Amino acid sequence: MRYLHLSLIVPCTLRDRGGERLGRALDLIVRLNGDDFPPLSGALAELAERPVFVPASEIELIGPEGMVLRSTRLDLDRFHRNEQEILLRKDVLDRQLINVDGARLVRANEIELALVDNSYRVVGIDVSARAFLRRLLPKRFAHRIESRAVLDWRHLEPFTGHVPTLRLRTPHPKLARLHPAQLADLVEDASGREAEEIISAVHSDLGREADLFQQLDSHHRRQFAETRSDHELGRIVARMGADNAAGFVRELPEKRREAVLASLPDAERESVEGLLGYGAASAGGLMRTDLVTVGEGTRVTDALEAVRSSGAPSEVATWVYLLDGEERLEAAIPLADLLRMAPQLPLVQTVSFTPPAVGTDTGIEELARLMTDFNLTLVPVLDEEKHLLGAVSADDVLESVLPRGWRRRVHVFTAD
Amino acid sequence: MSDARRAKETDAGAREPEIETARPTAARRRRRARIVRLVAPLAILGPGLIAANASNDAGGVAAYASVGARYGYDLLWVIVLITVSLIVVQEMAGRMGVVTGKGFAEVVREHYGVRWTTVVMFSILITNLAIGISEFVGIGAASELLHVPREVTVPLAAILVWTILVRGSYRWAERIFIAMTIPFFAYPIAAVLAHPHWGTVGHAIVKPQLHTSPRYIYLVVAIVGATVMPFMQLYLQSAVAERGVRVEELRRQRLDIVGGVIFANLIAGFIIISTAAALFTHGITNVGSTADVARALEPFAGRFAKELFAVGLLGASLLAAAILPVTTAYVISESFGMEKGVGRHFREAPVFTTTITVLIGTGAIVALIPGLPVITLLVAVQGLNGVFAPITLFFLWRLSRDRELMGEWRSGRLLSAVAGATVIVMTILSLVLLAAMAINPGGL
Repeated sequence: MRYLHLSLIVPCTLRDRGGERLGRALDLIVRLNGDDFPPLSGALAELAERPVFVPASEIELIGPEGMVLRSTRLDLDRFHRNEQEILLRKDVLDRQLINVDGARLVRANEIELALVDNSYRVVGIDVSARAFLRRLLPKRFAHRIESRAVLDWRHLEPFTGHVPTLRLRTPHPKLARLHPAQLADLVEDASGREAEEIISAVHSDLGREADLFQQLDSHHRRQFAETRSDHELGRIVARMGADNAAGFVRELPEKRREAVLASLPDAERESVEGLLGYGAASAGGLMRTDLVTVGEGTRVTDALEAVRSSGAPSEVATWVYLLDGEERLEAAIPLADLLRMAPQLPLVQTVSFTPPAVGTDTGIEELARLMTDFNLTLVPVLDEEKHLLGAVSADDVLESVLPRGWRRRVHVFTAD
Repeated sequence: MSDARRAKETDAGAREPEIETARPTAARRRRRARIVRLVAPLAILGPGLIAANASNDAGGVAAYASVGARYGYDLLWVIVLITVSLIVVQEMAGRMGVVTGKGFAEVVREHYGVRWTTVVMFSILITNLAIGISEFVGIGAASELLHVPREVTVPLAAILVWTILVRGSYRWAERIFIAMTIPFFAYPIAAVLAHPHWGTVGHAIVKPQLHTSPRYIYLVVAIVGATVMPFMQLYLQSAVAERGVRVEELRRQRLDIVGGVIFANLIAGFIIISTAAALFTHGITNVGSTADVARALEPFAGRFAKELFAVGLLGASLLAAAILPVTTAYVISESFGMEKGVGRHFREAPVFTTTITVLIGTGAIVALIPGLPVITLLVAVQGLNGVFAPITLFFLWRLSRDRELMGEWRSGRLLSAVAGATVIVMTILSLVLLAAMAINPGGL
């Protein structure tokens, strides 16, 4: 594909068909209409010190010699911004974009256009040092520097919060491809407004927003909690698992906790309040409560059905807990074992070994040791009468014991 | 991927104190909240205070002391004017950090493109390399006052600062270094104990005493350069942006900025007064070594003057030596559009680690050259900074006025006028200095 480099196109001389100089083309305008490669809708030009819009249909040729119009007419409209339209040089070049392929923020050193389907379209950006160098050099030498590594526009999502006519166009459809943890990484790397933009892109999906919040580092989570009302926070917290919800509420300033808790549904509030009573780094504070439990007399097939119909996330549904008549833990059976057994077998008869359980005040280190020694990903938590309260999962323990230096990058001014 | 996934539960107990932001109903609670709001910035060591304090580093102390010894109180008026200027430019940088949430180089890049960004970046790189050298010279000089050879302390300090920055334990180090600058409080006391002629001091503050010698212009440029150092504004903007200060908190942030500048420049003023009283009035007009500068503290500290001065100098120089490479690394990452922050492994943050290493390494190696004329070098670095600073300040001035960028928080007429005047006066002073040096190179 033959690329046209934006920095070599505009600003340039604008000529009519006869080759006469009309003015200067200052910027190119593309329409973000959902196409893979956004088409050129026109150019911003300056004619007799008046900003005018040159529609793409009027442009005969874009090249290194400048921009040539199809006709000699001069009845061009005064420039104004349209919905869905973005100025390449002003709004995209030198700014950050989200590269969905790899979930990184990139800065556009160059924007590449090409003729696709008979129209000029943006096909990608160049973030390499070569592109930076090309723009430093005078045009004569700049031509000689070719683009080697161009990021495909299909994986790129520009920030549009600074564009007046696009401020409300938040969906950023390509972000749907990212995992909440990747979105959280992006939010942590982005600056204020852009971070807000990423978050508002998932705003319509409460579950995703809740996941994103959980994944943020404490500094950013605190920051975004501050900008949201108690009611909004309540809606987000309601979508988290009880363990994460409790962790999140614990981080809030004292006076907001009450208000946020009050806005939760009753059942949710009770379980969160229950967890808040435990220490943050103890089994009680870390445990999750959305377990798969079955009662006495259950057969293997019933237990599998319980897994199927429960809303428990997959990392928790790897164990089925068998309770006796008084809600005391009798046995814990791994899902894989259940799958291998005869369906009609009563569950009680299948148990050969029951892994250890812990109390609510067991510390992180003991939990980590148990998980290592017994190859566990989930450790049940019991009260003094052996009632099953919840279970601590390995990812939460890992998160707490992960050495500080293992994080990928630390922001100097906010590193705690 | 998972950058900081941990943090969730474990650090909930050990978080920073929450600052009063809600609106309590009762009047009494409102009053209490107001007091908390006023005191909070002093308690939390805001970036404004830290940035301003970094200006009283080795180069700053050398420039102020040279001025006091050479011209007595005659240049005090410059300190007053420069305090106003510094408040204005620091406020602009802080406000831009709050409103845009971006670092300075990032904003320059997005508004002026790669060419201007490169110009700004190089001007910052050159000055910061020079200032970096001066910090390690200061560390060496401080340690020699304590009878420890600089061949020992300079490499140690370089390793210490490098480790702190690359291991990401910057924030606690910041607190220790700033605590080490407390001995500089001795300057106001020493100034009072030296019984300066307060009438003359007051007169010098309100009525500029002008001289026409190149040395005078050079020293004016040097103290302006020692006070208005672009790395302070860059640090402030990046720190404020990264901490995510919101526009609702702008008032509190301003308090931190203004308070920090006034505090730091009061110390600077008292350094001039005490050196003037201790040296100038006794006919010692040439400060040749740091021991001479320490002598200004004798009225207060007696025979411990040197030791007291050395600790203060060490703290201020370490503080600046830590802020400087980080700020430079931020500027370079932002200019080229690379990710910011330090990593455990080199490949996770190559630009950051390289910049920090080069700056610290250069500073430490130059500071180890035998027979360096310490004070001359320190003052020369401030002069260099005075020459280059207007480039950064120009963009700060223009951008803070930009309606599109700053919206309703753009600089008003008065602020803009002061900042504009600062840029223009600094530029003219630099040009006059360059001309004077061209005509009569030996005149300094």
